Amino acid sequence: MLLAGGEPKVTSAFFSTLMPLALALASGGQAQEKPDWMNRRTEDRLSYLRGPYNRSIDLIPEFARDMYATGVGHALAYEALVRGRKDRLESQVQPQIAAILRNPPRFLVDEAAISPRFSTRFSSLEKVFEWAHTLHFQTIDVLAYPGWDFQRKEEEIQRLWKFYSAQPFALTGLPMNMDRLDGFSWSGLFRSKYPKTNALFWGYHWLQTANYDMLYGTALASQREQYAVLGDRYRTEELTRTDRDFMPMTAEISPRFARRFPQIANAFDNLHMLHDNVNDILADDRLTESQKDQAVDAAIINVLASTHRNCEPVAADEVETVAPGIHDHRHPNSMPGMGWMKGSDGDEMFMTGMGWMDMSECAHCSVSFPDSPKLTATGFAGPYGATVSSNGWTMSVRCVLCARDMASESIGRVILRAATEDPSRILVLISDEEGTFRSNLPEAVFLDEPAEHPECESWSRAFTNRAAFERYLKANPGFQSAQPLVLADWANRYNGKPETYRKISRPNPYRPNPDRLNPSGTKSPSLEVRSR
Amino acid sequence: MIAAVRMMAFGAMVAYSSGALLHEADCPNCKLPLVQNNDNFDNEVVVRYGNKRIEYRSIYCVLKDQDRYKVDLTVYSPSEKIGEPVVLKRVQGKWTAPEKAVFTMGTSKMSLCAQQSRAFSSLEGLESVRLKLELGESKPLTLTEFIEAVKKHKFEPSGGTCCSQAVSPK
Repeated sequence: MLLAGGEPKVTSAFFSTLMPLALALASGGQAQEKPDWMNRRTEDRLSYLRGPYNRSIDLIPEFARDMYATGVGHALAYEALVRGRKDRLESQVQPQIAAILRNPPRFLVDEAAISPRFSTRFSSLEKVFEWAHTLHFQTIDVLAYPGWDFQRKEEEIQRLWKFYSAQPFALTGLPMNMDRLDGFSWSGLFRSKYPKTNALFWGYHWLQTANYDMLYGTALASQREQYAVLGDRYRTEELTRTDRDFMPMTAEISPRFARRFPQIANAFDNLHMLHDNVNDILADDRLTESQKDQAVDAAIINVLASTHRNCEPVAADEVETVAPGIHDHRHPNSMPGMGWMKGSDGDEMFMTGMGWMDMSECAHCSVSFPDSPKLTATGFAGPYGATVSSNGWTMSVRCVLCARDMASESIGRVILRAATEDPSRILVLISDEEGTFRSNLPEAVFLDEPAEHPECESWSRAFTNRAAFERYLKANPGFQSAQPLVLADWANRYNGKPETYRKISRPNPYRPNPDRLNPSGTKSPSLEVRSR
Repeated sequence: MIAAVRMMAFGAMVAYSSGALLHEADCPNCKLPLVQNNDNFDNEVVVRYGNKRIEYRSIYCVLKDQDRYKVDLTVYSPSEKIGEPVVLKRVQGKWTAPEKAVFTMGTSKMSLCAQQSRAFSSLEGLESVRLKLELGESKPLTLTEFIEAVKKHKFEPSGGTCCSQAVSPK
């Protein structure tokens, strides 16, 4: 009963007698060993890795300040939760936090100084949070640092992950079954009781994951330009959104980074799930204070790297028997940087606002991505592929034509990030409200010779300059008559709906009984969708 | 000859139709699923401005959501004929449509807005499909009347009545 989620129907007697058993069951049938360090009350602070990049986040000042404010927001909400101010969370604390988010600090704030009671009571949790937040900031610092080239940054991020994951407070980089971790009897309580405060948390987590594709493989000037769009989205929409079915996942919002560094993406998702678990536990009035302490400890242990030290990630289609409890480390076949989601099947997952998507396919033309034995800066195997970010989501597509057409179908500003012939140089196009793009590579030209979509990576490409375009034509005589298109000419084109597109029509797994009609939205046979 | 005309009509349709994933997502206004073209009718209502092509579920939804856009708009609203949309324009806030075009608000729920809140090339065009579209006694409206009716009507969330009430049946 405790594991099922949904409407809680448990008594206090049940909690006092059976909760330890329930927590053990949640952990895979047997209680997980509590690491020694969790019994210590000392601060045990760890130092970040030394490097010339530290504090490079400050080179993108608005982003830095928004990130610093997320720490303040977390701390104020937690302190209210442990000081018996739950009933004022929505009416007083949320507005107080919102005011700080509107005028964010100029430096990184020590969360323990703002939430002394929470930090003292949940000192183990604080250590885990702080260490993961250090990973957040250091990876951001590396990507924002203008002093190193792409390859050097790649190596340093690997080094950071190794350094992080070797420490006792590290979260696992394995994909976790998110449906199970969000399946306790208290799961969802916080978001239903305190939707506005939960929106803040999920807004922070959106920002903390959306930034990676913004930073990855792009130069500082472009990072700043992109943040003008993303920061606006964060402040005006994401911090107040209450329509999300689930917390933002790294691979949903930064798919390139999640493909390239799946362990880091998983660790961030596990961190954010731990936040959700703790929020829900603290919001559960059926638990005694002692039971809350115990449940928080169990939630930490569930996602610690040490708990899963002998485990391996496994692609969904390679699983013969799904591991029990917390040791289900399945990931979508094409996305090692994401744990198992509610209703997932193979590569299909449900994304709020976009519906079902297949991560092995182009979001625009539904043609499978080519095999990706070696990933480049774009997150794809070769000099093709792109992502489209708009209205809080990011989708992966096969070619720049798909990206452009998808951008044209999206209301508002769009960020398009596309591969070029140079694996270390990503073309970043940012559109205004009317779909007029500006580019980070002013010399960029395009090949746009539409043919069949399964070969679109050959006929739809972006090049950093005309010379690169000419070289491609020389190597591919089939396009000899093609002319290079400059951005303005290319952006005006539109190729319509690909014949290959297929819609995945399945209900929202988070809302199994929606007040909806059939997928075509009509009961009239005269308006049924034409079969393709 | 007929085949050629049909091909041209299809070509025109492709030229203005919106794209895939977002094309089959939810209407920006009423949040109900977009309705695709089929063998009987075109149903895809497309708003164009700059390089954007945004699809709506009905012409009602476009007008209800128009304040979102600050620029001039062109709207391709399906008519009674496949491949021959009624083209509306909003220039400096003023709407225009072909002289003979008529509109219906519908007499039922929001869920039927795609079917019943529509544009037609002419009164005759409307009457030719009244039964097929189950328009009942929906009154034909001029563009001005239609815009006023939409304005007066209070939008209700998806599932509620929306395209109803503003226009009384004949």
